Amino acid sequence: GALKPAAGPRVLNDFLADKSYIEGYVPSQADIAVFEALAAPPPAEFYHALRWYNHIKSYEKQKASLPGVKKALGKYGPADVEDTTGAATDSKDDDDIDLFGSDDEEESEEAKKLREERLAQYESKKSKKPAVVAKSSILLDVKPWDDETDMAKLEECVRSIQADGLVWGSSKLVPVGYGIKKLQIQCVVEDDKVGTDMLEERITAFEDYVQSMDVAAFNKI
Amino acid sequence: GGEELALLEKALGLQSGNKYGAQGERQIPVLQTNNGPGLTGLITIAAYLVKQAKKEQLLGKSAEEKAVVHQWLEYRVTRVDKHSSKEDTRTILKDLNTHLEDKVYLAGNSFTLADILMYYGLHHVMVDLTVQEKEKYLNVSRWFNHIQHYPGVRQHLTNVVFIKNRLYTNAH
Repeated sequence: GALKPAAGPRVLNDFLADKSYIEGYVPSQADIAVFEALAAPPPAEFYHALRWYNHIKSYEKQKASLPGVKKALGKYGPADVEDTTGAATDSKDDDDIDLFGSDDEEESEEAKKLREERLAQYESKKSKKPAVVAKSSILLDVKPWDDETDMAKLEECVRSIQADGLVWGSSKLVPVGYGIKKLQIQCVVEDDKVGTDMLEERITAFEDYVQSMDVAAFNKI
Repeated sequence: GGEELALLEKALGLQSGNKYGAQGERQIPVLQTNNGPGLTGLITIAAYLVKQAKKEQLLGKSAEEKAVVHQWLEYRVTRVDKHSSKEDTRTILKDLNTHLEDKVYLAGNSFTLADILMYYGLHHVMVDLTVQEKEKYLNVSRWFNHIQHYPGVRQHLTNVVFIKNRLYTNAH
């Protein structure tokens, strides 16, 4: 994978919003590795990254003696945040976004596509807005033709719908009788960018799988 | 007063186990030294302990850094108090959040006594913050989480948990 300059500064900034260092609580080779990979200081709008950058710069003279071992850049980046409340820990690394692209040669085309998709989703979730943005949480009911429709495929089609201001959430299959299950899926939309009409149009376009779509619930958030 | 100084002693690696008295209505800590005048006041005693521990760098290195450290120590004793009103507390968190936007530690790039005493002083506040408030004062949360992980500082105090809000936050 290659360095993604466009994705870089924003993802780095968000990653560092609540951290002083790339790894752990002391400056280490991890910080040096990322620092040296940056061509220039982050722009002022990414003030968390800039704060980190200036701080690590102050360690320039000692960089060789900082703890740790420099790893490939793909190994650093946002991962699941340490959750110590004792609630069910998410063992699936769903939010594991590769900061600079993975160096893993075994990565398949599909995994690569999924990662790029998730990076785009992560970006659209996290991009900073200057003003308060009106958002809504919508629960959609997507009905198949019959009980033989491949619901996994149907869900895949729905989730493949990408738009600025649209983020898909969790989903479940709900039986509606005669062995038929409908897909109930959540999404969060920015009101001025995505509406239910557009969602209906794009979802029902998957004519092979989708018979109809309804809004089961609509809440302003 | 006395409790906090006991924590500070351990954080500094001192074994002294001094006994602290308390003076007046506001229970200002007093340390009776063996060969000299008694010392009064949190900052005074804390600075003395730092020197005893031979860790003067915790008071700041340059003249400017020393001044900034002292500024925050003064802030600590004049503004941060167990009996602060809700509004005072909010102001403090707001001040701190702004100050910490471009700094890792209170004095900039170095860990100092200011970080330690502000951490002890604010612990009771941070423990009660809601998830939204922690997110609102993001820089304070980052700093506090960092300091509580600094070796020897937290000791028996509760670890305050900070979870980065991941999915559908509208608190941007």
